[in-house]
Amino acid sequence: MIKKILVVVLCLTLVVGILSACQKTEDVSVYKLGVAAPITGNYAEYGKGFQVATQMAVDKINAAGGVNGKMLELVVMDSKGDAKEATEVARKFVENEEILAVVGDFSSTCSMAAAPIYTEAKMVQLSPTSSHPDFAGMSEYMFGVMGRQDAEGPFVAEYLAQKYTDANKMAIIYLNNDWGVSAHQNIVKRAEQIGLEITTIENFVDGEKDFTATLTKIRQTNPDTLCLVMFYNELVIIAKQIKQMGWDDLKVIALGPGISEQIIDLGGADVEGIATSTPFMVTEENKTAYDFAMEFETKAGFTLNVHSACAYDAVFMLSKAIGNLGKDVTREAIAGELSAMKDFVGVTGPIVFSAAGDVTRKYLIAQIVNSEWVQMTDYSYVK
Amino acid sequence: MYILEQLVNGLCQGSIYALMAIGYAVIYGVVGLVTFTYGEIIMMGSFSAFYYFIAFGDNLLFALVAGFITAALVGVIVHKVCYQRFLDAPRYISLICTIGMSMFLKNFATLVFGSEMKGMPTFFEGKFISLAGIRINYLQLMIMGIVILFSVGLTVFLKKTRIGMKLRAVSQDKKAAALVGINVKNTTLLGNCIGCGLGGVAGILLGVYYNSVLPTMGGMAGLKAFSAMVLGGLGSITGAAVGGVVIGVTENLGIAFASSGLRDVFAFALLVVVLIVRPQGLFGKKGN
Repeated sequence: MIKKILVVVLCLTLVVGILSACQKTEDVSVYKLGVAAPITGNYAEYGKGFQVATQMAVDKINAAGGVNGKMLELVVMDSKGDAKEATEVARKFVENEEILAVVGDFSSTCSMAAAPIYTEAKMVQLSPTSSHPDFAGMSEYMFGVMGRQDAEGPFVAEYLAQKYTDANKMAIIYLNNDWGVSAHQNIVKRAEQIGLEITTIENFVDGEKDFTATLTKIRQTNPDTLCLVMFYNELVIIAKQIKQMGWDDLKVIALGPGISEQIIDLGGADVEGIATSTPFMVTEENKTAYDFAMEFETKAGFTLNVHSACAYDAVFMLSKAIGNLGKDVTREAIAGELSAMKDFVGVTGPIVFSAAGDVTRKYLIAQIVNSEWVQMTDYSYVK
Repeated sequence: MYILEQLVNGLCQGSIYALMAIGYAVIYGVVGLVTFTYGEIIMMGSFSAFYYFIAFGDNLLFALVAGFITAALVGVIVHKVCYQRFLDAPRYISLICTIGMSMFLKNFATLVFGSEMKGMPTFFEGKFISLAGIRINYLQLMIMGIVILFSVGLTVFLKKTRIGMKLRAVSQDKKAAALVGINVKNTTLLGNCIGCGLGGVAGILLGVYYNSVLPTMGGMAGLKAFSAMVLGGLGSITGAAVGGVVIGVTENLGIAFASSGLRDVFAFALLVVVLIVRPQGLFGKKGN
């Protein structure tokens, strides 16, 4: 008898629990957005930047009265730059009914791994940085803010390498993941068209630390320029190991790390002169971007990089989409609103999505001069 | 010429593996068990050097000595936690305990030191000597020199000193060693510390050679040390040294002919092949 009563009581508490949980979701006084970012791990600097920039965007929106009178709130989860973790994070976001859309992930590999899960839930994954040409096209709910690899790769080959750096014979080392494969293929394709000789192409798996053997091998092919398609960790290690080999007459250019301050902090004198392509650089003329960059620096403890700026814009895009929807905010409707948005201007410039859901950007060249990133403008595009 | 240069790269990397494997072999000898904490000991040595460089300037000699001591002290903790209490318990308990310790140390390092990569100072920047057209840079020479120094030092210590003899006796047979009046407990502790210290030194060399330290660097390093020891023959110190060099050279020649992405494939494929042909390892005795 006592057992039966217990069972009934248990069932009742469960039912009441479920009912009260249901009520909670109906009564949302806030809009919740997910942020999937590599807070720890190999890409920790970028993840930290995501976290700070998205929070700054939310603070700014909320200070101005929120969206439709409701406050925005972020739920940040760590995907560790690992595709397995990224899908776990995606599942958690999808299951949480309160989350309307997700900003993330950092790497194309993670974003693409998580894409099917978000698509099934008709939830927007707005990635600030994924630039793999296939990513945004994976479904109508995938969007990329950074720009496409098939625009940046050719720019690196033609302008950064051939015209700015004066490269005749170039070797390439790329990070062997979805992004790296696509990015270096785009460089090679354009290099062939413009007659830039590629002496050799090497790759490595994420987490590699010893490049001595690879560099010895590359030196054998006698290139005058080395193009590194990777992020800051490996870039710094390679730059240091080049110096350690006493290989002084090699010019180094990079695609991927952006104007990351970590490169200078870690690399010191060894990274001097490295040039990279970037879609965006803060100058004092651009007031909004400059103020944002200053505030970001005090909050994050390092200088603004393009990845964080894109994350900042991503939050504003989502809040604008939610604002446009008014009362009927659903996960599915946000996607339609984003692709229809034609007048958005963020700190990284105007963002209008293509039919696939990504952006074609213009690129600039930045170089490390006296341990500082400097935007290079005095080079000829017509050489 | 090119192949010889790659050979030098391989010898240098292999000598670091060799030092790691020697340390591992010493621990395996006195404790009688494989340890899964070794990779994290290597990482701890590396991180200690990183902070010594910041605190006392880029003095490599000091960092090596201090790193040896730091790693040996971590070894004391590992010994107290994982081995001492379980001397009479089934062996697998210590083994599992080292797995736990490894996870703890890795996460401890992530929390305290931060998860991001840290850069090591560069030594002898760009200077190299040219031997018949082969470039060998000073850093590689120095690393190989240090490894040879430590290996010779350890051999002399084991063969010529009383404590060394005790260590060898405990490695060979604990019960017999106890019967002739050797304090097995303390000797095991000492052996474990020396092994960990060597691992710490190898970690510093690894950090300096790769110019970077990371809390997660221990996993692969520990695996390579273990493979080198198994390749050479379990418990044989000469075997461990040779195993390390062989793995290093194989990796680098593999990269020379194929791609850097396949580095570990070459190392571990070699291990598998050797174990199929000669299950006791290169220098191991049959039936061990």
